[in-house]
Formats: sequence, C-alpha cells, structure tokens
Amino acid sequence: MADLAGVNGQRKNFRVVGKPNLPGRLSYGIATGVAKYGADYVFPDMLEAKFLRSPYANAKITSMDTSNAMKIPGVVDIVTWEDDDMKKLAAGGGFMGPPEPFLTNWVDQEGGIIGAIVVAENEDVCEEALRQLTRDSKWEVLPHVVDILEGRKPDAPVIQPPVPKPKGGFGGFGMGGNNPPKQGNVSFSNVNAGDVEAGFRDADHILECDANTPSFAGHIPNPIGSAAMWYDDLYHGKGKSLRIEGNAWGYDQVAGMYRIPSEKVFEECMLVGGRYCDWGIRKSQLVTPLLSKRTGRPVRCVNSRYDQYDFNLNQRYIHLKVGFKKNGLITAIDDYSIADQGVKGSSSFGTSMDQTYGPYFTTRCQNVKQSMDMVDSNRGKMWLSGQHNPMNWDAITVAILMIADKLGKDPIEIARLNVHGPTSQTDPDPVPSLEACIDAAKKMMNWKWHATGEKKLKDGRMHGLSFRYNQCPRHSVSGYNTKLELRNGVVHMDSRGPVIGNYIMEANMMVVAEELGLNYEDIKGKLDHHEIFKPWGGGSDGTTASGWVLKECANKLKKMILEAAVEEANNPPAPSGFGGFGFGAKQAPNPFKGANPEDLDMQDGKVVFKNDPGKGLPLAQAVKANLFATYSGRPPAALWTHQGKQLDTMNVAMCEVAVDTETGKVEILRFGVVADPGKVMRRTSLESQIQQVMFFSEGCQLFEEFIYDKKTGVRLSTNMFEYKKPTIMDHAPVDTELLETRAGNACYGANGISHSLANTHLVIAAIYNAIGKWVDPPATPDKVLKALGKA
Amino acid sequence: MKPFNHVNATSLAEARTALADGKTTIIAGGTDLLGTLKDNILRTYPSTVINIKTIPGLDYIREEKGMVRIGATTRLADIAADPTIQKKYTALAQAASRVATPHVREMGTIGGNIAQLHRCWYFRKPENRFDCKRKGGSKCYAMSGDNRYHSIFGVQGGCIAVNPSDTAPALIALDAKVVTDRRTIEAENFFDVKKPANTVLEKDEIIKEIRIPEPPKGAKSAFIKFAFRKSIDFPIVNCAVMVGGKNPRIALNAVAPKPYRAVKAEEVVAGKSIKKLNEKLAEAAGEAAVSDARPLKAAKFKVQIAKTLVKRAILSLKA
Repeated sequence: MADLAGVNGQRKNFRVVGKPNLPGRLSYGIATGVAKYGADYVFPDMLEAKFLRSPYANAKITSMDTSNAMKIPGVVDIVTWEDDDMKKLAAGGGFMGPPEPFLTNWVDQEGGIIGAIVVAENEDVCEEALRQLTRDSKWEVLPHVVDILEGRKPDAPVIQPPVPKPKGGFGGFGMGGNNPPKQGNVSFSNVNAGDVEAGFRDADHILECDANTPSFAGHIPNPIGSAAMWYDDLYHGKGKSLRIEGNAWGYDQVAGMYRIPSEKVFEECMLVGGRYCDWGIRKSQLVTPLLSKRTGRPVRCVNSRYDQYDFNLNQRYIHLKVGFKKNGLITAIDDYSIADQGVKGSSSFGTSMDQTYGPYFTTRCQNVKQSMDMVDSNRGKMWLSGQHNPMNWDAITVAILMIADKLGKDPIEIARLNVHGPTSQTDPDPVPSLEACIDAAKKMMNWKWHATGEKKLKDGRMHGLSFRYNQCPRHSVSGYNTKLELRNGVVHMDSRGPVIGNYIMEANMMVVAEELGLNYEDIKGKLDHHEIFKPWGGGSDGTTASGWVLKECANKLKKMILEAAVEEANNPPAPSGFGGFGFGAKQAPNPFKGANPEDLDMQDGKVVFKNDPGKGLPLAQAVKANLFATYSGRPPAALWTHQGKQLDTMNVAMCEVAVDTETGKVEILRFGVVADPGKVMRRTSLESQIQQVMFFSEGCQLFEEFIYDKKTGVRLSTNMFEYKKPTIMDHAPVDTELLETRAGNACYGANGISHSLANTHLVIAAIYNAIGKWVDPPATPDKVLKALGKA
Repeated sequence: MKPFNHVNATSLAEARTALADGKTTIIAGGTDLLGTLKDNILRTYPSTVINIKTIPGLDYIREEKGMVRIGATTRLADIAADPTIQKKYTALAQAASRVATPHVREMGTIGGNIAQLHRCWYFRKPENRFDCKRKGGSKCYAMSGDNRYHSIFGVQGGCIAVNPSDTAPALIALDAKVVTDRRTIEAENFFDVKKPANTVLEKDEIIKEIRIPEPPKGAKSAFIKFAFRKSIDFPIVNCAVMVGGKNPRIALNAVAPKPYRAVKAEEVVAGKSIKKLNEKLAEAAGEAAVSDARPLKAAKFKVQIAKTLVKRAILSLKA
C-alpha cells in the first residue's frame, strides 16, 4: 500500500515534512507556564462547586437532609439528584458523554459521584458541606466486587442492574455474536476462527501459560474541570450566551445539554492537557452552566487528582494454550481470559474489543479460539481506550517467547516464522516493514539472544532480553472538513480547538507548507473553538489522516493561487484605499502576464515558472486576492480495519533488564524501539510518543498498581506515594529509530504509531529470560522474590 | 483543607505556650503535616498551626567537642550536602539525601523527619475513612487487610504500620541524642507508638537539637534505602550501620512501628575492624538481623530485603 489515492502521495523530496523540533502553536505557553487550562480560569465573583463522592464501593443514598449543610456559612447552593433542574439536565450530545441520568442516588465505585453537588464561596466550604451531607445522608451499603475472580463466582452478589449493553460507538466495538446470556456479573464474548481442535492435533508441542495484565491508571496530570458563566451578549441575539472554559472537546455537547445555539457558546481555553486517548468528558466539565444559571454567578468545578484515577487498562487474567510445530509454527491458539468490565459505562477497550483487533490474525495460524468472561466490578472506570494497543498483544509476546524457550531459539526467529505476508494470512512473503524494523533493531541493540537464566552481569544481577513486534497500520477513521485561506498574501490554516495535548495541527501545517512551497513559519494557524476543521482524531493516527485531507486542500488552493497570479497579471486589480492614489514607485512588469497557470509552480515562498524557477514573484506580490479552498474527505480506510489480516507498516521493541535476585528489584537497562510510521510527518511528535509509551510500559510492568481493601472495596493506592508512576529517574533509556517505507495509505504513505507500542509483557518477558520465572505485572520485588522462592 | 490560624513563633517559649491549649500543632517544613491536614486523616484538626522555622537559632550544623550539633529546623538538603556530615557521619548524610524528593528535602527538616507520622494506607486514607487504633479506634484495618508493606516485627500498640523515617535509623546507628526543650533522649529511645504520634514527646514538647558523637576510631557508617522508585518513595526497608569499632550499631526502619535496632546483627560484627569484614560475616549479620522477624504473609518479602540490606550496608564500608 501507499498513498496512491491522493495528490503528490508519492512525493520524493521533502523540505518541511519530517523536520524535528518545529515549535507548536501552544509550545510557548506550555514551556513558559503561562498556559491556562480550564481549571486555571477565575471569573470575578466566582463560586466553586464539588460533587459528593462515595466512601463506599457500592451504595445507595435513600434519603438526604441538606438543611444542615445549607446553614454552613459560605454555602450558596446544593443540588441533589431529586432536584427538577437535575432531572431535566439532558446528558449526552457528544461522543462518550456521561451516562443518563446525570446525577443519581447510586454509586458503583468508591470515590464515585453520587447524589449531590455543593456550590459555595470556596472549595474548603464545599468540602465542609460535603462532609455534612455525608453524615446527613442515609446510606444503603451494597455488596461490592473488587476481585473479579470472586465476582465471577455463581454465588457472588450481583452488583449491576440488568440493563442491555449498548452496541456500536466508541463503547461497543466487541464482536458480540452468539454469546451466552449474562450470568450474574459475567458477560461473555467468544470469537472463534478455523478449527482449533484440529490445530492442536496437528501440533508437535502444546504449551500453556498465564499472562495476566494489570489495571493501570491513565493519570491525567491536569485537574479536569470547567468554569462557566452566563452573560448578556450584544451580538448573538436574544437570551444569554454561555462562556465555558475547560470543556475539552468544544461547545457541541454543552450546547446540546443546555439547549442553546452553538454560536452562543464561547471558550477561550485551547489547552486540555496530557491524556492518552481518554476522550471522556467528566461531569465537572459539564455541570457548571447549570450551577451558574441557578446561582446567577460564575461557577467553577474541578476534580481533584484523587478523582481521576481512571483506568488506562483493565485488569485481565489470560490463560493461553498454544500448539506449534517442531519448527515453531503455531497451529492453534486457545485464549481464555477473565477481564474486568469495570463500573457501569466502561468502554469495551480492554475487553471484547481486544478480540477483534488482537494480534492473532497477524500470524499464519487460522485456528484461533478466544473466549472471554467479562466481569462487572466496583474497581473503576475504563473511559475509552488506553495507552496499550489494548487488543491483547501481550499474549502473542508471551506465546512467542514460550515457543522460543521451548525450542531453544531466538524469539525473533519464531516471530518471523509466524507473521504472515502483507496481503493475507496465507501470503508466504515476509512483510518488508517488519523485516526492516527487525534488522534495524537488532543492530541498534546489538541483539545477542541468550537462553533463559544464562547471563549474569558483572554486578551479580541476572540479565534478561525480550522482543515483541506489532503493527502500526492505523490512521483515523474520521473524515475531515478542511479550509485554507490566502489572506493578504499569507496562508492561514485555522483549526478548531481545544487541542488534546499533541501537535496534529502543526503536522498538518507542515503538509500545507510542503505542498505550497512555503516554510512552516509561513503558515499561520489560529485556534478557535468555532472553526469547522478539527485536526484531531487520535494521536499520530489523526495526523496522518487529516494531513492527507489537507494535502488535497492545499493543492486546490495552489491551483487557485496560480490561476489568480495569471489573472492578476493580465488584469491588474485596481488599487484600493489610501494606497491607491498613485504616489508609489512604478511597479515592475508582472512576469506572469500572458502565462498559462499550468506552467507555474510555488517554490520557496514564491510563484515561479516551472521551467525557470529563478523567475517569479513572492506570493504576496503575485496574488493580491483573498482565496479560500476547502476539501472534505478522508484517505482510504487504513489496514487497521482488516484486523491484522493484512499488514503494511510495523514496529518492534526490545528490552534489556537486570534482576537483583537478592532483593527482587528489576531495573530496565534499556528499551529499543524501531517504528515504521510509513513516512515521518513531525519527527518530534513520534519520538516523544515513543518515549511516553515506553514510560507507560515500564510503569505498568514494574510499579503501578491499583490496590483495594477487599473488605470495603476502598482503593488504597490513590495518591502519588502509593500509586507508583515512575519518576523521571526511573525512566529507562529509550533508543529510537524511525523508518520510512512509505507503505501506509494515509498522507505520503504514512500511518500512525499510536496504540501500537505499549505492551504490558515486554518487560515481564525480559524478566522471564533473566530468571526463568513468570512474574505478573507489576513485577514488584515482592512478586519477584516470591517467584524465586525467597518470600 | 479546613481553616486554621497560622502563627510565626519567635521563641521556643512562645511555641510551647501555644501548644499548651491542646489545639495547636507545630509546623516546620510542613511536608508531613500539610498532607495530613489536606487529607483530613485524623479525628481532630488543629485550630492553630505554629511555625517554628521563624525561631532564631534553630537552623545550624556545628561540630564541637567531639560531636556534631544539628538544629531541629535544619533542612535535610543542608544536612545531605554538609561536608562534615558526609565525611564523619556518613550514614546521616546518605539518609538525608535519600528522603523523598529534592523539593521535599529543601523544605523538610531533621526534626520533622524523625517526628513524622507513620505510613499506612488505612491510617492515611482521606477523611479518616478508617478510624484505626492509632486514632483511638477499635481495630487495626491493616491487620486483616492489605499489609504487604507493614511490620515484619509484629504489633506494637495494636498497630502494624511502620515508621518511615530515613534519618531515624542513621541517628540510632550513630548513637545520636535528641535534645528537646526539657530533656535529652537517646535516639533509640525517642520513638514510640502513640495515638497517633510516633515519638515519646509530650504534646507541648519541642525538639531543639540533634547531637551525634564522633564515631569511635576505626568505625565507619553507611545507610542504604530500598524503595521501589529512585525518588519520592518512602522506604520498603532502610538500614544504617556503624561498624568497625568495639560496639557496632545497626538499625533498620520501615520494618516495625518503631525503628528496629538489630542487636543480634551487631553481635556478629562486634569488634571486627572494617578490614576484617567479608561477605560471609556480612551475610551472617543479615541473617541475625531478621532472626526475630514474624512477618505476616504478604510482607514476608521484606525479611529477604532487610537481611540483604544489612549485608550490603556492612560490605559497603569496605569501599
């Protein structure tokens, strides 16, 4: 595959695209600290609001007396689930909106929102009133499930009411099919391909193992919240307009919820803050307009860090059975897993969706059985997707290592044997991108595979190695409505904000500059939440897809510019305004007079003749007219939609660890990542994404853990001491190399790399190679020592 | 956070008078106190916080008459960087340099570090979610809950939480004394298991100074901390040793509600010069250090780590 569908998809020379370190629109603000996020906004006379949060893992409030709380000095308003205003509040209106109804008297997670919102003069008063409300509410504490192995037992208490699960949309990518009906807390998802029994009969060896994945937190660093106020608006008709800051994805959802025209909603804040594919809108981002309307004053509502320990990956217990031939060729896969379905409203990333976009279809093995028990729990919420390619790539990493271990071979050899060719599962050819990645990675890491437990370092620690492959064939499934404008000789690419902490717009500007023969700095990009063009659609995936659309749009604009250059040469526009009295110097003859637009080109900021690039005019002189070009569309569907059965761009990662067998401490000595994004668009973005993903990988494999008190269901590790995100001192070196095979089908043959790099078992596999024991992630010293029989 | 009055004390007497009302608490670096207030973890909340950093003459490191004297409000970062401490009282410099993060060490004081409250996720759960024994409640929730990081030397005062101080074992190993506004206490005897405090201090008693005698001739000291992460974390286990003299001293922390002096380990290396220390001896000391350990199942791994730390701390003296 390649970018055959678009204009200049096969471009050979690049002046702008691929460059590193070009500053982003918001870089200055972020780097200097002047950036304002939603939670940073302060309006005159502003009130603060806070939700009541449950001390119990599963509970109902049967009655609430708000009178004592209302008497606390500084309390202005208390809204409960029984208030008409709250009942009327229309939830939803955008993707991943909060579930209906907005506020209830039931909670299924300790720390979850329940029952009431307090509005007061400051946060301290809010907290005092919430304490009072907690005391003045009658709580019916319900049974809870925080251990999913317990929760799936037939006699376990059923914790959720029997509501049908939604299908489709971001929450419903599961395969569905003819699955058994839900039993107790357990839903089922079974996906079968081929003849698994026959595959096992055909095998020379059968191995079984457990590959458990931990839950870990996305841990959005910026407190999520909003500040809202209503005001009289001279320019937008009858009724008050709404200003809301901190509403992450723009006005749509708020306008829908509050039934106001979108042109009467305004937002200045263009910064959302770092997050990984967590598109979920929190209630603190939506409720402030209601509270502001009730109190007649601006209101801000911000979550605390404690409120934001949402899942970036669900817990999952996987039992894997693999049959394979003497040479390591897999003949059958039986993957049975028990997955945490989380609290109500959790997405299917990490559960049934994994079965659809998992790794198995990237192998030649067509006998695949995937069975999953999805257990409702009171553990936490999976908002959308996580920084894993959720999709169960851990299992194939483990399977390949197991086979290699059994046969005494290098896992890379086993992977090469099993990955099918580019076109189908029966394609015998190698995947060029994978071959290139492996070759480069082996060189980078000076790869010398050793058998399990065979290498001891000079300091006495055991050395381990691991390898995994993955596909990066993704780009956004979204379509885009792009607009470019030549205004007073300058090209503008205005985009819709807020932006989600990445640099998609900038990558798009690079494409526009490339196509128009301009420099990156020549393209002006304004962020405005009322603009139509939304460049985002998911990390580097979105970059490559929206870049493709802008490439088409830029070429439309270019055609208009060249036509206008000739038109203006033939029929010079009348001077206008005060500049038109004829006092200026005499203009040089316009070289484009009588020229054919097709003979012209744009290079180095000028309109020039193709056959004589030295002859031409700067863009602003060549064209005085203001021009608009638009293009709506999307590149051809990514191979991602083929679920691994076709392959184009790939990536590999390697890991080296040292294991201290006396203390159980694991140190990641080095990661090596070679990724083929097809074509590098914005190098800095890709490199930093790889760094971030490996950071996530080391966190979830070595440190991070949701720990619950089983008796109460209360989370014990919801602070930065107990929930152990790696510090920068713990971050292992990551060697990175980016290849450009141009094999993708988005912009210039690019694909995205997001969701294709993290792996919860890359480090675990290296630990196995070091000590010959499987340790469930996170491989904390207690588990390592236990595996070694020392604890 | 609930509102409280903040007073800058100008003298120890003023601070002591303020403490007498029972509703006032001391703040120095504030790195522990503010967390407890923000999370509202205790039954009671102070009406006044009195700042002793503003008292003149409590921030110093002075070497005199065969000892070093360290003022109670001396910052951990200053102790870690002090050349005299580094050279002669090495374990303390190493311990101070491993406390939390650079930011905390720039704020936190030696007095605060030894007086801090214990770490237990039940005890520290916001809004006093678990009203445990250390707060006057009826039970220790960790005993029947998740206690993987808790005591391996049993219960004290009905509690199995651990003392998390990094400098405490160093001070015990160095045979330090804690001087308050009314008495002088051996560092080893300074720690206690109260509700909720971790020291023997009376409610209106204030630490003035730490005094550490110069180590005996031929003795050297060292400190090792084992934590999951290279920064921020409290210890899973830490260990300080002063070995090479006639009376070696070895202390562990984060293994019991109070810092644990490993007397049996000291006996193994008693009278041994640094030169005579070896792997076998150090290993035997490590085994002896944990010979009385009675870990709950989940915390068993800490025994292995504790004995390894004792061994490594002793061997590090040969470097």
